[in-house]
Amino acid sequence: MVFSGEQGTKRDNIADNTCTVPDVRRRLRGLFEQWGYTRYRMGKFEEYDMYAKNRNFVAGGAILTFTDTDGRLMALKPDVTMSIVKNTLPSEALHKLYYFESVYRAEDPASGFGEIPQAGVECIGELDLSSVCEVIALAAGSLEAMSERYILDISHMGVLSGILEDAGVDGDRKEELLLLAEGKNSHEARAVAKKAGMRDEDFELFDRLIHLRARLNDAVETLEGLRLGEKASEAVGELHAIAGALGKRENIYLDLSLRSDARYYTGLVMKGYIPGLAKAVLSGGRYDGLVRRLHREEGAVGFAVYLGLLEDAHADAESVDVLVICENADAGALFDYVSALRKQGLSARVDRAAPGGLEDKRLVRFTKEGPVNG
Amino acid sequence: MGETLNVALPKGRLGDKVYKLMESAGYGCPEVLSGGRKLIFESPEGTVRYFFVKPSDVAIYVERGAADVGVAGKDILLEYCPEVYELLDLGLGKCRMCVCGVPGRPMGAGKLRVATKFSKIARDYYAGLGRSVDIIHLNGSIELAPILGLSDVIVDIVETGATLRENGLGVLSEVCPISARLIANKVSYKFKYEELTELVRRLRGALEA
Repeated sequence: MVFSGEQGTKRDNIADNTCTVPDVRRRLRGLFEQWGYTRYRMGKFEEYDMYAKNRNFVAGGAILTFTDTDGRLMALKPDVTMSIVKNTLPSEALHKLYYFESVYRAEDPASGFGEIPQAGVECIGELDLSSVCEVIALAAGSLEAMSERYILDISHMGVLSGILEDAGVDGDRKEELLLLAEGKNSHEARAVAKKAGMRDEDFELFDRLIHLRARLNDAVETLEGLRLGEKASEAVGELHAIAGALGKRENIYLDLSLRSDARYYTGLVMKGYIPGLAKAVLSGGRYDGLVRRLHREEGAVGFAVYLGLLEDAHADAESVDVLVICENADAGALFDYVSALRKQGLSARVDRAAPGGLEDKRLVRFTKEGPVNG
Repeated sequence: MGETLNVALPKGRLGDKVYKLMESAGYGCPEVLSGGRKLIFESPEGTVRYFFVKPSDVAIYVERGAADVGVAGKDILLEYCPEVYELLDLGLGKCRMCVCGVPGRPMGAGKLRVATKFSKIARDYYAGLGRSVDIIHLNGSIELAPILGLSDVIVDIVETGATLRENGLGVLSEVCPISARLIANKVSYKFKYEELTELVRRLRGALEA
């Protein structure tokens, strides 16, 4: 079983400014629909109750609320995944959904609340290996829609966590070590491991895996050559199955230090990167825990693409075919001149000076005598 | 040749020390030592491009991807928690983050008034002790606060302790040791992996030499 996320040759890259954010949106929609995913639409706000019960799962924890006309407390949607899980009913068929939605939350408390546009995919139901691999392949395909030089990092949180538990490290120390692993901070992790009473050989293994970076297939082979405890081996087994099903993929790497932004991801996690952006543009993984919290015995896997990051980094320049700068022009003559341009199918803007942020293909000065250099 | 690494270094004494370390690791750029008002320096072979910024801004340059790597004090990393990889403790610019105050002055059992430039570090420290505090954020001359009765204690960086002693203050407890750390942007780490791991390997070698 080999999954391919490719959707034809794409030479245009958002990273090189040779394609635009709307192009990326179109490509993502095309990709999701090509794989048979259906669009999920939702309102901008929902009852606050669900978010309040699962507040720990909301990144940052802060939610914008208001009281509706009937007295119900409502929330501006801080998360799409939770809303989808809540609004889909258990069924024999899998829920395979994609969305283009905005969420409202304070990612950085210092900057206040913001609207964060996202695209994403969710697959909910009785998951098997093929459905998990399909979502990973879709994540790779989504990144490829933005840049041929993308990197998709995959991890299983059970590997490092299992190594620590097998070494007798639990509770706060375990959390501390996993946090340091996320920052690839070996020097401080060593000191914490010592305080936690971890044996040197156990720490060396942990440290080696924090820094292990290789293509998924090669990395899994390395992991299988190591002597791991039961919990870590189980997680490696899952990674082995995924790597086998995906086949050799140039751009998919293993990075066990990875942890997810959203707290509901457990087990498999992934993050995607493209050149030119300072942060991961894609994040996802399995979130069976969230589904079970809502009293459903199913699995779930998905990812979000942070379109806002693309928009911030690649603000598409607005352009006009002809910019007409008028200088004491006769209004009638000017109007006729511009109408003629538009009849030719050209876009034309009349202004008194060149506006900032607008590229013009042709600049015309229009005076009392008519167009000077048109 | 690999891709050029953009390196943000802190201006001042620490930056000079870090540059010397980089030079001994084989990342020399003689132009850096030439003085003048230039802000960006590229090594002759194009392996690194240095720029010197305010020490507290290094982490921002790296987190936002303007620099691939940088050298920042642990105090800044603890205070602002930038989303970066912390790859090496360079052991330079060593000092301590401490709770200081007037030795022997009795502290009430109620809310402790703590003046500091490092609000998050102070809040986390006292939260770990389960002590309720009133954090007073100041931007400079922190030592004045307990002398004038603005606060009970201060949380600040202590290098030699001379300023404290001259003002009748002393270290009451240590919060954590501080030193300069090599940090990397997470996306740069993926796309310039070979260059970055080579830099870490050579710096480690230079530190051990």
